[in-house]
Formats: sequence, structure tokens, C-alpha cells
Amino acid sequence: MTETKTPIIAFDQVDLSFGDTQVLKDIDFQIEAGKFYTLLGPSGSGKSTILKLISGQLEPTSGDVLFEGQVMNDWPAEKRPVNTVFQNYALFPNMNVFDNVAFGPRLKHLSAAATKTKVVDMLHLVKLDDYADREINELSGGQQQRVAIARALANDPEVLLLDEPLSALDYKLRKDMQGELRHIQKELGITFIFVTHDQEEALAMSDWIFVMNDGIIQQNGTPEDIYDEPINHFVANFIGESNIVPGIMKEDYLAHFVGKDFENVDAGMRPNERVEVVLRPEDLDLTSVEEGKLVVTILEQSFRGDYYEVQAVDDDGNHWQVQTTNSSPVGERVGLTFDPEDIHIMRFNESEDDFDARLEQYEDEKPDEN
Amino acid sequence: MSKFKWSHLYLWVVFALLYLPIGFLIVYSFNSGNVMQGWQGFSWSHYQELFGDAHLLEIVLDTLVLALLSSTLATAIGTMGALWIDRQPRELTKNVLLSLNNILLVSPDVIIGASFLILFTALGFSLGFVSVLLAHIAFSIPIVVLMVLPRLREMNQSLIAAARDLGANSWQVLSQIVLPVIFPGILAGFFMAFTYSLDDFAVTFFVTGNGFTTLSVEIYSRARQGVSLEINALSTMMFLVSLLLVLCYYLIALRPKKPAAARRRRQREVNP
Repeated sequence: MTETKTPIIAFDQVDLSFGDTQVLKDIDFQIEAGKFYTLLGPSGSGKSTILKLISGQLEPTSGDVLFEGQVMNDWPAEKRPVNTVFQNYALFPNMNVFDNVAFGPRLKHLSAAATKTKVVDMLHLVKLDDYADREINELSGGQQQRVAIARALANDPEVLLLDEPLSALDYKLRKDMQGELRHIQKELGITFIFVTHDQEEALAMSDWIFVMNDGIIQQNGTPEDIYDEPINHFVANFIGESNIVPGIMKEDYLAHFVGKDFENVDAGMRPNERVEVVLRPEDLDLTSVEEGKLVVTILEQSFRGDYYEVQAVDDDGNHWQVQTTNSSPVGERVGLTFDPEDIHIMRFNESEDDFDARLEQYEDEKPDEN
Repeated sequence: MSKFKWSHLYLWVVFALLYLPIGFLIVYSFNSGNVMQGWQGFSWSHYQELFGDAHLLEIVLDTLVLALLSSTLATAIGTMGALWIDRQPRELTKNVLLSLNNILLVSPDVIIGASFLILFTALGFSLGFVSVLLAHIAFSIPIVVLMVLPRLREMNQSLIAAARDLGANSWQVLSQIVLPVIFPGILAGFFMAFTYSLDDFAVTFFVTGNGFTTLSVEIYSRARQGVSLEINALSTMMFLVSLLLVLCYYLIALRPKKPAAARRRRQREVNP
């Protein structure tokens, strides 16, 4: 990434420990103003902790958290130009919807008229125009969620932090809110940092994703980059479904796995380096035994509406998950086919920087596929 | 037709046993005779006697002022104490402090009264209204702490984080979020402290000295000289006051938040 503007939020080698437990290790990233960012990871990966460092609920053990280039480690939460939508909404039960949303503007000593305008605007933005007089306990979960968003936005934050805001909603409502949040972010043009453990949600909403595990940023990039080029076993497994088998890179553009050589599009590794091979289930297809690059036996098949999910096993005992529109009876031997560009190679313990460097280096010299 | 239940019968018997003596006392406060044996006809005479007894009325007033003052101060101090206990970072510290608080609640009044007497005498403090007030505040604080602390523990901690996030300083968080949210607990603590102060006998008896007396101490000393039905009338009045207090508490604690307006609006939405 080449950046000319000062990033709105930056982490500079941030570590955070509680006693002997290290929660965040060497977190280093920059965030550009006006985009939708997602911190994605399983629970305990440190993603919410990063939000708390930005909002001021926590201070780093070492390293710096910067806002527009200024270190803000010791700024109190109430002085930071960011606001948070909390996971459990944290609406004030002693106030109605209007007073909840007006809480921030009133603390800033906005006039009654300006406060009212602000609240009305914000409630309109989240489509709760007629709910100003309602008590919090009269609202559904989805409505409370909207009030929480309106309340955080009423403070005109430069950055809105969202801590798993959709996790308590049902599937349909979650889908709707994903679209709406994206819409609100575009309309206001401010930076959103969204925390979730739901990879589908992250892929659908984000401009840029940080995948976290064990207090480390495993990989960051656009949703497409992360899905197509996962850097390691964890990311490949966590984002989407994956078939991962051990293999060897014999030479550039030639991989060896499940006992056969396959042409592929990866390069820049040592000859005969041990690697992991990723094949996405939707990139695999079933065909006849003769035409197949691999031969597998169907173990299980379940209908998923727009496709069949097939579990199969090859002669070496490797399991393969396939998403296909062709139905095949259980127990049948079939061929498995895929294209060279569907094979993705992952090196062991490759850092993000090395990964990016290698990609850049060989992408210049890659033989033209088109 | 509801089925006969033994548990219901049990409940009624228990309630009858609890309220029978009080009912007996109330009925005889209207007896035209002067003793509790034998009903001699209805009369307001004991009430007239009561309201003509300036000394007794003064004591009633003193007792109410004492209860109001001690419970108000105890509520303020106890709420602060609960906030302080709740803010202790270590669970062990919290539990030790809470246990120390509860020990005061369960220790016999006689011991607390005696210890106050020893303290005040040792300090050379003269016994009277102030000593009784201090003693009442002291034994009321643990009650308030006990009523307020669970509310604080139940309170969603992210409410505080949210208020700060929106720009509130510590005082604004306390006054606009924490205190309103735990208000039912504070209210319950206040009423409990008020009734404890109102009917305390043992502690007061030790620290009251010569000049100042409260109703329960006065009734006790009069009862030793033979029960006058004036006491019955007074007790009836006190019972009614207690009943009123309980009703007040429920009216304040259970009052609907937005009464008419919200309901009307909702009805409009249902049938436009």
C-alpha cells in the first residue's frame, strides 16, 4: 500500500497484556478515512480489544495508537473523535429513544433546537422516525440496534466503531442491516470499523478486512484478496470452506500433491519446498473417472437449494468437499476436476510482508494466462 | 371453581396468626372501657386522649424527624459505600467488604446498642438526639448498602462505557446514568432504613439518655406501668402510617414510566 494521506487511525507496534496473558502482539496497521473496515476473527482473537484501544476503554501496554498522526494513547474516551456501537447496544434504560440519541449532543451543549434537529435526522437515517417517544424496553432487538447506531452517529464521530452489532439479530434482519449499514457509511462518508466473527458478513460489507487470530493480524486485504489468496491454514479455513492437503512445490508453476503433479500459477518458492495446497469446494467439479484429475468416491451428498454439497474421499484417504450442480449417487467413483488457477499454494510461516513481496515479484514475470 | 389447596389454607392461617394480635389491638383502641378485657362499647375517647397528650405527640414528631433524618443520611452514605464496594477491582475485596457490612446487619441490636453506649461514654459524648441520630444512621447504612449493591452488580457495565464514549465525564456518568438506573434500589434502601429507625427499640434504649426519647422507648416505659388504651390508639395510628409508607413505596417503585401519552399513541397506531 502506498499512502500519501495521513491515516485517520494507525497502530504502531501495539502490544497489550493483562498480567501474564498477551492479548495483542505487535499490531501494526493504518486505516484510511472514509472506508468500511472489518476486523474478522474467532472469539478471543483480540478484535474487540483493538476497538477498545481505539475508543479509549483500554490503553496499550507498549506501542502507539494514533489519530491523524497524533499519539492518542492517553486521551480519555470522552475526548476521542470516535464513537462505539456496543454489542449489547448499551442503551440507557432510564431514558426514552429521543433522550438516548440526544445524550451526546446535550453533553456537547448543543442548543435544544439543534439537538432536536440532530436527533430527528439520525432517527430518520436509521428509519425510526416515529419512535422518538418510545421507551427502550418497548423496542425489538432490531429497533434497539438502530437506536444504538443513531446514538453513536449523533455525536458526529470521525470513526464509528461497531462491536459485533448484528450478532444478536436473526438471519433475515442481519442481512437487511448489513446492507443498511453499508448504505449509511457511504451516505455519511465517515470511517467504519466493524468487528465480527462472521466471515460471510465481512466479505459482504467491507472495503478492507483484517483477519485476526491469537492476538495477531493474520492477513489484511480486500475481501477478494483474502478469499482468493489466503496466506495460511487458519485464514483459508476461517474464510469460506476449504480443502487443504499437504504438497510440494517442485518448481515454479508445478505443484505436487496427492501423488500427482499439477500445473498451477504460483511461484517464488524454494525448489521442493513443503507447502499446503488449498482448493475451494466451489472451484471443484465432478466429472467422469477418465476425465478427472483425481478419482474420488462419494461419501455423502446433501441438497442446499442452489447446489449440492458433496463429501468425497480419494484413494489416499484425503477428504474432499465439493459444491456442484451435478448430483451423484453415494458410493459412486467419479472424477474430480479443477483449473490450474484454482490451486492456491500456502507456505508455512510466511509473513504478510514476504507474501506480498513474493506475489509482486512473480506477478510481473508470470506467463500470460489469458 | 378453584380446587381446595392445603397450601392456601396454611397461608391464611399464618397470616391470621400474624395479624390477629394487631387486629385485637386496633379493635380495643376503640373500646370505651379502660382495659383490654371485655368490650364495653365503641368510643373515640382514647384517640381524644392521645391527641390531647402534647408530650406524646412531641415524641411522635421527634421520632419521625429522627427517622427521616437518619434514613436520608444513611441512604446517601450507604449508596456511596455501595458504589465504592462495587468499584473494587478484586472480587475478594468486594466480598470481604460485603461480609463486614452483613455482620453489622445480623449482630444483635443489644450488642450494637451497648457498643454505641460504650463508645459515646468513652468519647465523653452527651447522650441525646445527636447520639441517637448517629446510632440510627450507623445501623441503617448496612441496610442501604445491601439494597443498592445488587442493583449495581446487575447494571450492564457497558452502559458506563457507552456514556463515556458519548462524552460524559465521571460526574455525568454517575448523575445521569448510574444513579437513575439504581434508583429503585436506593428507594428501597431509604424506606427500609426509615422503618428500621422508626421501630428501633434496643439500640435507641441504650443511647437515648434522659432528655430525648422515641416512641418505641416511650411505649415500652409506659407499658411497664400497665397498658393504657391510649397506647393502643397510638399503635393503631403507627400501623396506619406504616401501611401508608408501604403503599407509597409501591406507588413510587412501580409507577409506569410514561403513563398516558405513550399508551394513547400506541392505541392510535393499532386503530388509526
